[in-house]
Amino acid sequence: MSVIEVHDLRKSFGRTAALTGLDLEVRPGEVHGFLGPNGAGKSTTIRILLGLLRADGGTVTVLGRDPWRDAVHVHRGLAYVPGDVSLWPNLSGGEVIDLLTRLRGGADEALLRRLVEDFEFDPRKRSRSYSRGNRQKVALIAAFARPAELYVLDEPTSGLDPLMDEVFRRHIERVRDEGAAVLLSSHMLAEVERLCDRVTIIRSGVDVETGTLQELRHLTRTTFRLTGADEAAARALPGAHEPRSGGDWVEFDVDAADVPAVLAGVAALRPAGLTVAPPSLEELFLHHYGDRP
Amino acid sequence: MSTATLLASRLLSERWRLPLWIGGITLLTAASSTAVLAQFADPEEQRVLLLAAAANPAFRFLRGLPIGIGTGELVFFQIFTYLAALAGLMSTFLVVRHTRGDEDSGRTELIAATPLRRTAPVATALGTAVVANLVLGVTVALGLALPGLPWRGSVLTGSAVAVSGLVFAGIAAVAAQVLPTSRAANGAAAATVGLAYLLRGIGDAMAQPDERFVTRESGWPSWLSPIGWGQRVEAYQTDNPLPLAIGIATAVLLGAVAVAVAARRDLGASLVRERAGRERARGSLRSPLALVWRLSWPSLVGWAIGAAFLGTVAGLLAPSVADAIGSNAQFLELIRRLIPGSTAGLLDLFVAAILGMAGFLAAAAGAQATMRMRAEEADGRAELLLAAPVGRARWMVAFLAVAVASVAAVLVPAGVAAAVAFAAVGEQDRTGSSLAAAAAQVPAALVFVGLTALVFAVLPRLTVPVAWTLLGVSLILGEYGTILQLPEWMQDMSPFRHTSAIPAEDLDAGGVLALLAVALATATLAVLLFRRRDLAV
Ligand SMILES: Nc1ncnc2c1ncn2[C@@H]1O[C@H](COP(=O)(O)OP(=O)(O)OP(=O)(O)O)[C@@H](O)[C@H]1O
Ligand SMILES: [Mg+2]
Repeated sequence: MSVIEVHDLRKSFGRTAALTGLDLEVRPGEVHGFLGPNGAGKSTTIRILLGLLRADGGTVTVLGRDPWRDAVHVHRGLAYVPGDVSLWPNLSGGEVIDLLTRLRGGADEALLRRLVEDFEFDPRKRSRSYSRGNRQKVALIAAFARPAELYVLDEPTSGLDPLMDEVFRRHIERVRDEGAAVLLSSHMLAEVERLCDRVTIIRSGVDVETGTLQELRHLTRTTFRLTGADEAAARALPGAHEPRSGGDWVEFDVDAADVPAVLAGVAALRPAGLTVAPPSLEELFLHHYGDRP
Repeated sequence: MSTATLLASRLLSERWRLPLWIGGITLLTAASSTAVLAQFADPEEQRVLLLAAAANPAFRFLRGLPIGIGTGELVFFQIFTYLAALAGLMSTFLVVRHTRGDEDSGRTELIAATPLRRTAPVATALGTAVVANLVLGVTVALGLALPGLPWRGSVLTGSAVAVSGLVFAGIAAVAAQVLPTSRAANGAAAATVGLAYLLRGIGDAMAQPDERFVTRESGWPSWLSPIGWGQRVEAYQTDNPLPLAIGIATAVLLGAVAVAVAARRDLGASLVRERAGRERARGSLRSPLALVWRLSWPSLVGWAIGAAFLGTVAGLLAPSVADAIGSNAQFLELIRRLIPGSTAGLLDLFVAAILGMAGFLAAAAGAQATMRMRAEEADGRAELLLAAPVGRARWMVAFLAVAVASVAAVLVPAGVAAAVAFAAVGEQDRTGSSLAAAAAQVPAALVFVGLTALVFAVLPRLTVPVAWTLLGVSLILGEYGTILQLPEWMQDMSPFRHTSAIPAEDLDAGGVLALLAVALATATLAVLLFRRRDLAV
C-alpha cells in the first residue's frame, strides 16, 4: 500500500485554480521529489495532505486515511517541515523543538542530541533572533528527532548553507534506510537529483511527469558535444536536433531512440573530442515548461 | 529613497488605520459636545452638576477637574482626559509599529540598506506621529466648535489633545529604542498612558474646591502627567496656552533622545538586553494549552495589575463620595443622568460604575486573548501545531480557556482589591457586594470571547478589526446610548446593557443566563466552523 495516494486533486482559492487534477503516489521506503516552479501548487498539495486545507475534488489518502477527516490520526505517523517556518518569538529554539516533539510523543533523546550537534544549532537563543536558516533547523531537528513513517518536507533546505545541506542529506538517507518515506518538495534541482528515488514534476496545478530519474531521462534528449569535427556535416546528421556551435565545437540534442544511429554517424565524422551527457534535471524541467534558456 | 519618500510611504501605509483612529476620536468629541449642549441647556442645572462634581473626588478622579460653570467648561471636564489618553494610545501604537515593529519584521533592514541615515526610520516615524496629531488636533477642534462651542477654547482643546499625543509619541519612540520587542515597547508605552491618566486622576481627586465650588488647582501628582499638563490650558475658562509649552518641550526632548539612541545602536539591538532562553523546555510545555498559557501569562499579569489598581481606587475613594454628597436630592437626579437607569444611592452607583469599567476591561482582555488565534494562524505558527497530532478543536479550546482566564485575571483582582480597600477604610459590609459586582461582569465579557472566536472562524482575515469594532460599538451603545438618546432596541444590542450594575441594581438572573447562553453558543459554533474551514494564511 502506498504512503500517499492522490488522485485527480483539485483546489481553488476564489478564482485562482491552484490544483487542477493532480496525481501523486509516494511508496513506502522511497524519497519522492516533488518538483515545480514557484506557484506550481506544491505547498497547496502538501497542506491538503496534512488536512490543513480541504480538497475541492479528487481523492487523498495519507497513511491509509483521509487527512481531512482523520487529521490527528494521520499526524501521529508523520513529521512536517513547512516551507516558511515561523516560530514563537519569546520561546528559545530548544523549547520549540521540545514542544513539537512532545506533541508527537517525545523525542529520541540520543537522536536529538546528535541532530543539535550535526546541525551546529544553538538552542538557547530566542526564536525572534534566529535567521531563516536557523528557523528551518528548528523544524528539521524537531521532525527528525522522532522516527516517523512519513516525512513531509516543503522546500526544507532553501535557507541552509552547503555544509548543513550535507547534514540534511545524511539524515534523509538515514530515515530512508530505516524504512520511512519522504516527500520532498523543491525547486532546487541538484537536491532532488542527489536525494530522490522518484520524482513527480508539477506545473500549474497538474503533475506533468512521474517516475525514477532513469525513467524520466528516457523521455528526454541526450546532448552530444563534438570538437574538431566538420561543423556543417555534424549539423546535417539525421536525428540531431537544435544544433548550436561556437569556436571549434558543435552541440546538438538526440532523442533517446536515435542515439545508436547518431553514434554511428558521429564516428564517421572522426571528431577530436566527444562528450555525451545525460540531460540534467534542469533540462528535464525546461523541457516540460516548454522553453529553453 | 529619500527621507521624504520614506515619510510618504509611512503615511500611505497608514491610510486606513489612522483615519479610523482620528475619525473615532473626533466622533466621540462631537457626540459629547452635542449631547452636553442639548442636555444641559438650562444654566442652573449645569451649575449644580459642576458644583456637585467639584465636591466629589471620585468624579474628579474619573473625568477631570471642573474648572468653571459654563457649557464649554462642562464639555472640557467631561471629555478632555479621555481624548488625551486616546491620542496617547494612537500615537504609541503608531510609533512602535513603524520603529520596533518594522525592526521585528525585518522591514527596517531593507531601509537600512538604502543610503538613508541610520536615524531616518525613527525620525520619519515621529514625523508620521506629528502629522497624525496635527490632523487630530484640527478635527477635535472642529468637533467642538461646529456644534456651537467657542472657537478659542475649541482650538486650545484640540491643541492640548495633539500635544498630549506627541508627548506619548516621544515616550513610545524611546521605549521602542530601549526595549527588545514591539510587544514590550507597546506594553510599556501604553502603560505610561494609563499611569498618566491615573496620576492626574489622583491629583484631581486631591484638589480642594474653593468657596464657589470651582476647582482649579489639581494636586501635585497631576504635574507628573502629560494629561495633567493638558488640563491646565483650562479651555473655555482662562484659555491659557502656556502649559502647552511643557508638553512640546518634553516631546521634543524625548524625540531627540530616541533619535540619539537610534544613531548609536546596532539594528535590532536594544539597551535592555534579552536573557538567553532555556536550552530545554520545562516539563509542562507539552500541550497547546501549556503553550498558549506560556505565551499569554505576561499580558494577564499586566491586566491584573491594572484591574487591581482600579478596584483599589473604587474602595478607597468611595467613602469620600458619600461624605461629599450627603443627601442632595437634586444632585442625585443629575448623577442618574450621567449613570443612567438607577434609583440607588450614589455610593452604590459609584462602585457599580468603577466595576463596570473593570467589566469593559475584562471584555477587552478576553477579546484580545482570543484574537491571538489569528496572529498564530496568519504567521504560520498554527500550521506548525495543527500538523502535529493536535486537533483543531483542542487547539482552539486552548485559546478560549486562556481567554476565559484573562477575563478572570481582570475581574478577580478588581473585585478583591475593591473589597480589601473597603475593609481598609472601615466599610466591611461592602466586601460581599464588591465581589458580586465584579462577578456580575463575567457573562458580558465572555460574550466577547465567544463573538471574537466566531469572527475568527468565519472571517479569519478580519478578526482583529471586526472584533475591536464590536467591542467599541457595544461600549458606545451601552454607556452613551442613553445620553445620545438612541432607540431602546439599539442600546439593547450591547451585551453590557444586560450586565447587572451591582450594587446599584439587583442581579438580573435572566440577563446572566442569556449572556452565558450567547457566549457558549458562539464559542461552540466557532469550534464547529473552524473545523470545517481551510487554514487561511
Ligand atoms: N490561501 C491562498 N489564497 C489564494 N491563493 C493562494 C493561496 N495559497 C496559494 N495560492 C495560490 O495557489 C497557487 C499555488 O501556490 P503554492 O503556494 O501551492 O505554490 P508552490 O508550488 O508552493 O510555490 P513556491 O515554490 O513559491 O512555494 C499560487 O498561484 C498561489 O498564488
Ligand atoms: Mg511553496
